[in-house]
Amino acid sequence: MAGSTALIARRSIRARIGRMIAIIVAVMAGVSFVSGSFVLADSLKRSIDDFISELVQNTDLIVRAERAFDQDDFQGDNAREPIPIEIADDLRGIPGVDVVEPDIQRNASVLNADGGVITTTGPQFGVVWDGESLAGVTLKEGRKPSGADELVLDKATADREGFEVGDTVGYVTDVNIYQATLVGTIGTADTDSLFGATIVALDLPTALEHYGANGRVDGINISVVDESELATVKAAVQSAVPGGIEVVDRDEIIEETQDSIGQFINIFQTGLLVFAFVTAFVAAFIINNVFQITIGQRLRELALLRAIGANTRQVKRLIATEALGIGVIGTAIGVFGGIAVARLIIALFNAIGAGFPPTGTVLLPRTIIVATIVGIGVTMLSVLIPARRAAKIPPVAAMQPQIGFQAMRSRRLTAGVTMALIGLAAFLVGMFVQPGGGLGLTLLGGGGVLLLFLGVTSLTATFAAPVTRWLGWPIAKMFKTPGKLARDNVARAPRRTSSSAAALMIGVALVSAAGVFASSLRNTLVATLDDVVQSDYIIQGANDGATFPTTVTDEIGALPEIEAAMPIQITRVEIDGDPRGFAAIDPAVATQLVDVDLRAGSIENLADNAIAVHTESADDLGLEVGDQLEAKFSNQEIRNVEVAAIFGDNSFGSNWFIGLDTLAEVTAAPDANVFGFAKLADGVTPEEGDEAVRGVMESFPQAKAQSNAEFIQEQEDQINQILLLITMLLAFAIIIAVLGISITLALGVFERTREIGLLRAVGMNRRQTRRSVRWEAVIVSVFGALIGIVLGTFLGVVLSLAVPDNVISELAFSPSIIVAILIGAVIAGLIAALYPSFKASNMDVLEAIATE
Amino acid sequence: MTTDLAPPAPTSDSVAAAGTVDAMKIYGIGDAEVRALDGVTVAFETGKFTAIMGPSGSGKSTLLHCLAGLDGLSSGATYIGDTYLASLDDKQLTELRRTKVGFVFQAFNLIPTLTADENIRLPMMLGGEDGDAAWIDQVITTVGLADRLHHRPNELSGGQQQRVAVARALASQPAIIFADEPTGNLDSTTGAEILDFMRRAVRELGQTIVMVTHDPNAASYADRVVFMADGKIDGELSEPTSDQIFERMKTLGR
Ligand SMILES: Nc1ncnc2c1ncn2[C@@H]1O[C@H](COP(=O)(O)OP(=O)(O)OP(=O)(O)O)[C@@H](O)[C@H]1O
Ligand SMILES: [Mg+2]
Repeated sequence: MAGSTALIARRSIRARIGRMIAIIVAVMAGVSFVSGSFVLADSLKRSIDDFISELVQNTDLIVRAERAFDQDDFQGDNAREPIPIEIADDLRGIPGVDVVEPDIQRNASVLNADGGVITTTGPQFGVVWDGESLAGVTLKEGRKPSGADELVLDKATADREGFEVGDTVGYVTDVNIYQATLVGTIGTADTDSLFGATIVALDLPTALEHYGANGRVDGINISVVDESELATVKAAVQSAVPGGIEVVDRDEIIEETQDSIGQFINIFQTGLLVFAFVTAFVAAFIINNVFQITIGQRLRELALLRAIGANTRQVKRLIATEALGIGVIGTAIGVFGGIAVARLIIALFNAIGAGFPPTGTVLLPRTIIVATIVGIGVTMLSVLIPARRAAKIPPVAAMQPQIGFQAMRSRRLTAGVTMALIGLAAFLVGMFVQPGGGLGLTLLGGGGVLLLFLGVTSLTATFAAPVTRWLGWPIAKMFKTPGKLARDNVARAPRRTSSSAAALMIGVALVSAAGVFASSLRNTLVATLDDVVQSDYIIQGANDGATFPTTVTDEIGALPEIEAAMPIQITRVEIDGDPRGFAAIDPAVATQLVDVDLRAGSIENLADNAIAVHTESADDLGLEVGDQLEAKFSNQEIRNVEVAAIFGDNSFGSNWFIGLDTLAEVTAAPDANVFGFAKLADGVTPEEGDEAVRGVMESFPQAKAQSNAEFIQEQEDQINQILLLITMLLAFAIIIAVLGISITLALGVFERTREIGLLRAVGMNRRQTRRSVRWEAVIVSVFGALIGIVLGTFLGVVLSLAVPDNVISELAFSPSIIVAILIGAVIAGLIAALYPSFKASNMDVLEAIATE
Repeated sequence: MTTDLAPPAPTSDSVAAAGTVDAMKIYGIGDAEVRALDGVTVAFETGKFTAIMGPSGSGKSTLLHCLAGLDGLSSGATYIGDTYLASLDDKQLTELRRTKVGFVFQAFNLIPTLTADENIRLPMMLGGEDGDAAWIDQVITTVGLADRLHHRPNELSGGQQQRVAVARALASQPAIIFADEPTGNLDSTTGAEILDFMRRAVRELGQTIVMVTHDPNAASYADRVVFMADGKIDGELSEPTSDQIFERMKTLGR
């Protein structure tokens, strides 16, 4: 007898430790993701701040062009105009000015031994460096460059590529390809790199020529003799420079850079937090489910407490206190787990080529506070309903458990339907009406989806039994009795099945939604290329997002095999008080290469001081062909321009076109092509064309020419990579979901101890026992995945419909993603079953039979 | 080890379906040592209904568990037919339980998700076999469950559930059926039905049954009653009446 009580006690402690660990892991995962998002963003901000401060530590003043428009985002095309180098000479004579150092930052890429551009995760720049003075750059090896045949590189790049001081290194700029001797390497005081960028540094005369600076520099750095006279010197400098040029001091520069980079990091952080909260949400499901089940298992114990005089509040408090304790432990681990998560996310992004610079670890009090609120909040919210149910257990249930179970039952159908409908309505309104702009979209869209998930979860309990029976049919056929038992066990606790499946459902729904979105994006892209792009080649920078010189398209256009070639540049022009994104095209050949569905006027007329407008923007501003309007360009010049054409298809990316000739007049920035198009001449085969184009491209390692098919393939690869990234960020939630299925199953196995013992006694072998638990898990996870796919596809369709037509105009579904998810669900089920099936098959038969 | 022991010579004119030779089962060590079985040698004849009686804690259940291959001995041997259980690994033991042994417990004998019919066929289903259809029909008819076959256990009365359990034990035509207080949870009338059914299974169908019971009246259905006390065999009675058993129980273990 003593043996059996010890057995029961041992069993329940063991079961409760397992349960507690599961809850702690769930809380921890949610919290560590939240904390990790903050840690990552804060650490990045801190390192960038440090880096900026180091770079400008010796600089007191910076002279540079004013911005043409208010900076409202971090778009590169809103950069400042370069300023004439002569200004530097004027500044040298000003009293109080010590060092005057021109600063240039341009396109320059290092070439490898094969003459191709080296592949890097960070950006590649060419700068001017005349030795240690103002820029916070330190010489690491060798000496500073001087003359056209010398360069230095950042030490990290030199080491990575195996360049030694004395080697000949090739580099390519917007002007040409150059060979030079590596005379030294540079870095910051503490690191070998300049924040992960690849840097080519030349002396000033070489830089001006090789970078194609046209006698202009990006800014002029100044140090003053006596810092206490900074204000006076600043005023003197300001009065010495022409109009349109501003003078800022170090603090302003630091603040400004921090702001603009902070803005970018904040967006990144918000994105991560979305995934973090999804994880916390999923964790809440698991915690709720585990509490629900264990309260069922402890029903007698709780009823006994009530019988000996505990009131409902005390029972509630008992459950809540337990939850709180577990929540605190999980939160505490999770806050610090965030540091690991931050590292993991960096590794993840670096793996797909993001190029995070090396960063320290910053754990702010704010991070700890938010993470704690999330951790404790999620735990307490999850236990709310189970605790209320537990309190409803009447004392008599100590003797008659079934009465207790009845008391715990609740009406969920109506609540589920209501929640799902409200959620759906909120989501649709958020997506299509967007009341209050971005905020309305986020709150209604996000909140709606959450409600929808909750509602659908409680609804699934009503059809879990029939659907899982249907799903389990082939399994029962294939695996006979163990399969049948698996199927019956799933169907017998539909609510438990639905809530453990729900966690997986959420992860799968988000992946499928992203899948629909990505497929639609891809199909839209293909359609755009079919409808809009009439050319055969698309030319881009060799590295993602890099620009390339106009000579590339010029030379390709000159080939006899090519009928027409055209570069595309982008700029900003202020129209009607707002800066607008313009694409600059060559009106002479544009119509041969792109078809933008011309509605009125003609693209050929885009020659001088003329623009083309998309019909929607034209309607907004009431523009018609022939209208004159004022335009402010990036060199701050204001001109009158004429509407030459109105077009109907903006899937090309821009609502506004301008001629390349006009653009060249209104900016001193070097030609920076973002795209180029080229079309084969009549009668030229693609093979001949490829051959000729390749010949030209060999002398331009910084650019690449792709056929339309190659271009689509590359875009598709990129879309897939983003999809993969989303899936990986959802992996946290999915792992928790799998853990949830596992623990639910383990608790189920524990509850069915006696039954399993009986089966073993009448001749079920271990393998069959494992098999039945295993397939039970697979049915649950496939069930969750199926609902997730249906729900996610719906969400993806709505999302795709809600974005503007120039982004997505065609809906598409990817069967391969759905198949992959289903296979993944089977694997998830198998993994979830590892522990419970081991438990079930290793049960001591006698002990099991002795269990009540 | 004991594996090289041959099965003992058949007692009287019938062959032993199962038995033990000098079986010891010791739980715990030192002061906490409990000899649940303390040198038990016993044989159960084929085609006989044997009852085991004895005070609580005398080792009846332990004996049954060891005989059925659910538990191992500390020393000594158990056999079913001509197979020594100690020579079998877990897989073979499971197979033996499925094919050669039937089991009826005091309660919770059935899998709640399966119907009565499925519960009866469970051992065969687990082996991927259909079983002898005519025999199973006969068993079902004999148990009188034909109209309850498609009900689940929670839709059956306690007596009906036990009858399904007995039917399951019989369905695979095992060499021997072990029943541990099969009527312990039933009222006397329902219990009598089960016992009568078990006796008919022995007499008419030729089954071998070993049953543990505390009830002299139940034991009187058996052909033979074996008494246990303190982990040892303490005599036996053949074809006893309930009064004889009752009298014998009083002196047990003294
Ligand atoms: N797992 C175990 N661990 C330790 N001791 C055990 C264990 N199982 C049984 N025992 C002890 O072995 C002895 C015999 O137990 P057994 O269950 O065989 O008795 P029983 O005759 O079936 O009693 P009852 O009539 O009450 O069912 C008892 O003293 C019991 O406490
Ligand atoms: Mg017993």
